[in-house]
Amino acid sequence: MKSAVTTVVSAADAAGRFPSMSDFESVKGSFDRAKARLEAAEKLASCLDKFTNLAVDAVYQNGSYEQANKDKCVRDIHHYLRLINYCLVTGGTGPLDEWGISGMREIIRIQLLPTAAYIEAFIFIRDEIKINDVMSQQAETEFKGLLDYLINALA
Amino acid sequence: MLDAFSRTVVSADAKGAAIGSEDLADLRKYVADANKRIDATLAITQNVSCIAADAVAGMVCENTGLTQPGGHCYPTRRMAACLRDGEIILRYVSYALLAGDPSVLEDRCLNGLKETYLALGVPSANAIRAVEIMKIATVAIMTETNTGRKMFKGINSGSGGQCQDIAAEAASYFDLVIEALS
Repeated sequence: MKSAVTTVVSAADAAGRFPSMSDFESVKGSFDRAKARLEAAEKLASCLDKFTNLAVDAVYQNGSYEQANKDKCVRDIHHYLRLINYCLVTGGTGPLDEWGISGMREIIRIQLLPTAAYIEAFIFIRDEIKINDVMSQQAETEFKGLLDYLINALA
Repeated sequence: MLDAFSRTVVSADAKGAAIGSEDLADLRKYVADANKRIDATLAITQNVSCIAADAVAGMVCENTGLTQPGGHCYPTRRMAACLRDGEIILRYVSYALLAGDPSVLEDRCLNGLKETYLALGVPSANAIRAVEIMKIATVAIMTETNTGRKMFKGINSGSGGQCQDIAAEAASYFDLVIEALS
């Protein structure tokens, strides 16, 4: 699983050398942001259901999608938010890449799912929900960065 | 390869649950102790040759037959291989300590090590003894309880006394090596 520390260790191992001062610096640099990341992860975990329901309700409000699929949509949005929670913890996009994005296009295409609905839901979470109410500015920036990453990958 | 963070993620994913407050407490401690951890890792990386050479020398002193003709550290080519392996083990222990997780040590160093040594005819009792000495030396340097010159730099304003917990973690990684060779 890719993270700031494992990337450094992999590179050092590939070269057969001990971790160097610059390796330590880069590990430390990633820890400087860790406080905001972990806060975002914690708050997101406690609001996961709330965010999911708000987003799915907003998407289904305009009536352009089949109500029968709503439960599945809730499940998927919940799943992606959980992966974002993992990404916030690791400090990299590893969990989203490995468990959420790779192979996703193929699955969505074969099941004829409307990708646009997912994108709408995540854009709603990004732009409409007052994330600021539950977490600090820096934590919000970390969270939104990952939402953007996911939206781009889905688009 | 995992680190303290991705280890938490992998175990949370197995349960299908998001990572909440309780699981984050350990990670916050890991982040808060980052400077100590880096100092402790430096204690290994700056004293590698010393730790490995002392351990192999100690092993030979306890079994003088090793360097005699017919011994496992004779001729020097085999002694050199021994020193090299000591450094390799220290390298993987330093990776594991930095990552806060033993997976890199287990996957890339210990997996198959015992079988390799058996096939090459390396006596595991002696190898284990050398690892034990490395463990004792590393912990002593990290906690600044070694005798003689000061070997712990503490550049991140840590002192050896503060590294007790992390030295204990390092000791647990050496124990994994010993366990793998037993």
